[in-house]
Amino acid sequence: MSILKPYIKKYWYLVVVAVIAVSFSALAALWQPQLLSKVITAINDKNMDKVTEYGWQLVAIAIGGLVLGVVNAFFAARFSQNVAADVRENTYKKIQGFSFANIEKFSAGNLVVRMTNDVQQVQNLSMLILQNIFRIPVLLIGGIILSVQAIHQLWWVIVVMFVLILIILGAIFPQMGKRFGMMQRFIDAINTKAKENLQGVRVVKSFNQQENQEKSFNETSDDMTKLNIGIGYLFAIVMPAFMFIGQGLVSLSIYLVAKITETDPDMKMVANITSFTQYLMQIMFALIIGGVSITFASRGMVSLGRIKEVLDTENDLVFKDVPEENLDGSVEFNDVTFEYPTDEEPTLRNVTFSIKSGETIGIVGATGAGKSSLSQLIPRLFDPQSGSIKVGGVDLRDVNESSLRKAVKLVSQKATLFSGTIAENLRQGKPDATLEDLKWAADIAQASEFIEKYPDTYDHEVEERSANFSGGQKQRISIARGLIGRPSILILDDSTSALDARSEKLVQEGLATQLKGTTVITIAEKISSVINANRIIVMENGTIESIGTHKQLLKKSKTYKEIYETQKAQEDK
Amino acid sequence: MKSFNKSVKFFAHYLGRYWFALIVILVLTIAQTYMQVHAPVYMGNAINDLIYHNTAGEITKHLTVTLPTGGTMKLTFAQAVEAAVQNNTLTKSIAKVVLDNQTLSTFYKDILAFVGFLGAMMVIQFINAIIQAIVAPKSVNNMRKGLFAKMQRMTVKYFDSHQDGDILARFTSDLDNIFNAMNQAIFQAFAQVVLIIGIIWQMFNESSKMAWVTIASTPVAIVIAVLIMRLSSKYINAQQSEVGELNGYINEQINGEKILITYGQQAKSVDGFEPLNKKVRQSTFKGQFWSSVLFPIMQGMSLVNTAIVIFYGAWAVLNNSVDGITIGLIVTFMSFSIQYYQPITQITSTYNQMQLAFTGAARINEIHDQADEVSPKDGKIINGVEASVELKDVHFGYNEDKEILHGINATVEKGHMVALVGPTGSGKTTVMNLLNRFYDVNSGSVEFDGVDVRDIDLVNLRNNVGIVLQDSVLFSGTVRDNIAFGKPDATDEEVIAAAKQANIHEVIENLPDRYDTKVSDENSVFSTGQKQLLSIARTILTDPQLLILDEATSNVDTVTEARIQKAMDNVLHGRTSFVIAHRLKTILGADKIIVLKDGEIIEQGTHAQLMKKKNGFYRELYTNQTVFE
Repeated sequence: MSILKPYIKKYWYLVVVAVIAVSFSALAALWQPQLLSKVITAINDKNMDKVTEYGWQLVAIAIGGLVLGVVNAFFAARFSQNVAADVRENTYKKIQGFSFANIEKFSAGNLVVRMTNDVQQVQNLSMLILQNIFRIPVLLIGGIILSVQAIHQLWWVIVVMFVLILIILGAIFPQMGKRFGMMQRFIDAINTKAKENLQGVRVVKSFNQQENQEKSFNETSDDMTKLNIGIGYLFAIVMPAFMFIGQGLVSLSIYLVAKITETDPDMKMVANITSFTQYLMQIMFALIIGGVSITFASRGMVSLGRIKEVLDTENDLVFKDVPEENLDGSVEFNDVTFEYPTDEEPTLRNVTFSIKSGETIGIVGATGAGKSSLSQLIPRLFDPQSGSIKVGGVDLRDVNESSLRKAVKLVSQKATLFSGTIAENLRQGKPDATLEDLKWAADIAQASEFIEKYPDTYDHEVEERSANFSGGQKQRISIARGLIGRPSILILDDSTSALDARSEKLVQEGLATQLKGTTVITIAEKISSVINANRIIVMENGTIESIGTHKQLLKKSKTYKEIYETQKAQEDK
Repeated sequence: MKSFNKSVKFFAHYLGRYWFALIVILVLTIAQTYMQVHAPVYMGNAINDLIYHNTAGEITKHLTVTLPTGGTMKLTFAQAVEAAVQNNTLTKSIAKVVLDNQTLSTFYKDILAFVGFLGAMMVIQFINAIIQAIVAPKSVNNMRKGLFAKMQRMTVKYFDSHQDGDILARFTSDLDNIFNAMNQAIFQAFAQVVLIIGIIWQMFNESSKMAWVTIASTPVAIVIAVLIMRLSSKYINAQQSEVGELNGYINEQINGEKILITYGQQAKSVDGFEPLNKKVRQSTFKGQFWSSVLFPIMQGMSLVNTAIVIFYGAWAVLNNSVDGITIGLIVTFMSFSIQYYQPITQITSTYNQMQLAFTGAARINEIHDQADEVSPKDGKIINGVEASVELKDVHFGYNEDKEILHGINATVEKGHMVALVGPTGSGKTTVMNLLNRFYDVNSGSVEFDGVDVRDIDLVNLRNNVGIVLQDSVLFSGTVRDNIAFGKPDATDEEVIAAAKQANIHEVIENLPDRYDTKVSDENSVFSTGQKQLLSIARTILTDPQLLILDEATSNVDTVTEARIQKAMDNVLHGRTSFVIAHRLKTILGADKIIVLKDGEIIEQGTHAQLMKKKNGFYRELYTNQTVFE
């Protein structure tokens, strides 16, 4: 709730107007039964002047209530969308300041859910608060006062109703909550089954398993239906139960009035029965709506908590605010030990090596040896737990963020493109890139051959999830994006895995001739990708097993030799 | 309108089988509505009894009258009433009922009737709700099962050309909208219509003039309500599409956040976010505002209408100009006016929900309208490959206007292995799609021992063809379920034997629950390479005669690659097979290698033959991949 405070402050006038409007419209709603009973009395008295007067009062209440209702809707809607938009924006900005570790803590998918679903819930919550939370107390308190005023002897009937309604709400709501929770799991299961069937449609068909799939889907669907019927039963009980309480107490009140006036006639009390029972029903509906609102509100509160968690997360990886500088391509690791925040064991242990500016370096090793982790430390995506890393001779902890981003470009294995044009994607690597730059980069990355086939070349749209590109094409664009800014250090983390051997070779040749001063670090599964590097680093279990040229390693490194054996050409099988 | 008819047909189809329950619901709803309209009459009677009883009580208090002579005289109750009539404090008709209500016995009768009536009403309401609680989920269940069953019969082409998300939305939001409407709108709307008719009927019974006055404003109310609902649904649609756009942006940016960080694009990402968020800020306001104003406006209309009834009634009584309008009638019509507006408000407020349900029904129907896969009538039954599988001058394209394969001729002899190699986009995978009829050729033919695949029974054909796909898919369930996918009744021994052949048995044995370990496509029990091995095991178990392997080794390390290679050798042994190869080392032993480029065969022969071709395409590919110096 505390995160809503600043917004209530910021939009106080919206809140004030909405609350005033809703309170007055509740008062109008309370006044209405009184007025109607006055009209009836006036009609009974044949006092036509009074009838007309009350008639006009009724029109005034009608129009007043209408205007107040519309005003409330207007200001409540304004407030809730402003709050939602502000919360969304602040959360988004917060996330944009996150480090890799922060993102991994939540996971990207989870952050998206918080930004979308949870913000939506917060919007609903603010709307609910401004529309109902103030209306209900006014209706309840006003209803109690007016009903007691009507027949004060029956005050305890109202208490009985409160207790009964609260008991039912208390008994039913947890049951409902439990079942709705179960429902969510069934919905997920149905979704998963349908999704798997879509993704595996070829497998299902080629194994002729349509019937079995149907059977298993139907089982889940039937279970879900049973639960739905159970929920329906609960509702089927609840509505008549409320009716029973309300109307039962109405009959009881009439009966009690009869008993009281049996021996001691009291015309006024009898005349007030109608408004008393009307207020009784009004109180009942206010209670029920209140109960439902609280349930919805509690869902909103959970979402608020989830958003607060994001807003309260501090980025632990802060760059120093120092002047920008040009960093050259040298890299130095000094006794670096690194562990992912979520892991229990270090991924890299006491790693020490140095790379001279302009060198080409290959890194090989089995999956999980720590190759990618090592590459993520160079652009300072994580900080190591101990040891130091220098790029261009400067310790990473003393470097300005944008200088480092300009100097080091990492092209990761998973080529992620964003919707927009190809040019826009490439310009992420160099915002002011000219068409010449785009062509130059695409040429080296072997991307121009397919880009230039499009009629709109570099303005060709990248669809959502880059669905209109093949894996190889995505990788080529992603490599071009990495090299377009002529960085001092270019890291290719298995980023040619979907390229055929011929293109890969051309990329390497292009890098060698066009980016001469750049330190190129290539992480690869295939020896052929790193064979021409100046030096190759062989990783094993988070440490460096050995460093050397291809020829040297064949002699001295057991691990390297093993990898090589599995990949070299088999002579005559 | 066409889609509306389709939606109606859709509902008719799925609700039709519950016709009896629907009739019961109809009858109960009418009964319930009748009682709802009539209950206040009983309560009114009881209250009137009380009024008369109290009048009687007041009279009883004054039975002793002071005579002008100074003495007192005791009247009987009847005399006192008579005296009141004489004094004009009571009318004759009231005097009669006051006499009847000297004791509370009439009141007791009426209040009991009221309570009994309420009790009956609640029982009916309960039974009605129970029946609805059964019918709605069951019919939606049938819709869901029907949709899934339809999906099983559709062509691969449909799935390839439509987004998964869009198809899935039918299972989630569309069916959900239908279910919500059935729960909260459709039956309710029906009850409300009955209620309106009931009230109108009752009103015309009482006084047709007053009835006309009461319903006179209805057209205005309906026009206003429909206008508001139109605006609200228009703005809500606009809101949905803008929220969708914003959420799409958020989704893409945050999922690519690591790239944004690495390329220092965070500030630019915020720049892209802001205008989208601003748009949503505008459109959600309109949507929310218009969907919230209906209720207060209709409430106001209802009260204004009541005032109209009062004014007209008062004017009529005062001027005595209209016959039959009495004071009592005005009171009655005041409550009619309020009652009459409630169902109108209710129905209009469910308009959006109904619309969503109808759209959902139309969207589900769209799927039902898609073509099914066709198996030929009296399809031929084959039993393995006797001589050869042949592609004869095959032309094919996924779209009519874009041909991908331009006349492919290829033969695989029984027991032979043919490898398809070539750069991405050359059409290797497309060939696989034709062999077990995921797609049909545009011209030419695919033949098994001279029989066109289009003449073979579809189930039989697919029983004979096994495929291992590049993207291996796991289904939620146990490891065992996944291996036995194509043969659910396989014994444990068969499953283990298949896993051993596929080189995955040891990995499985090391899992916490071994073959009973739960897996799904999302959780990461298995690596990409292991998933591939698992799908090889799945194929081995069904023992197909023709095997198609689309090998996926681009993302696995060399150790796993070696395992896959060995597993493939096991499964290929003695079978007729097509292998789509990315790493050429895996297909050196093929009986024939076909090199595809741009949908045409440019070279074919054994590895040795192809390596002899100076400047050959294959030779260059191979050299690039495996020769280091």
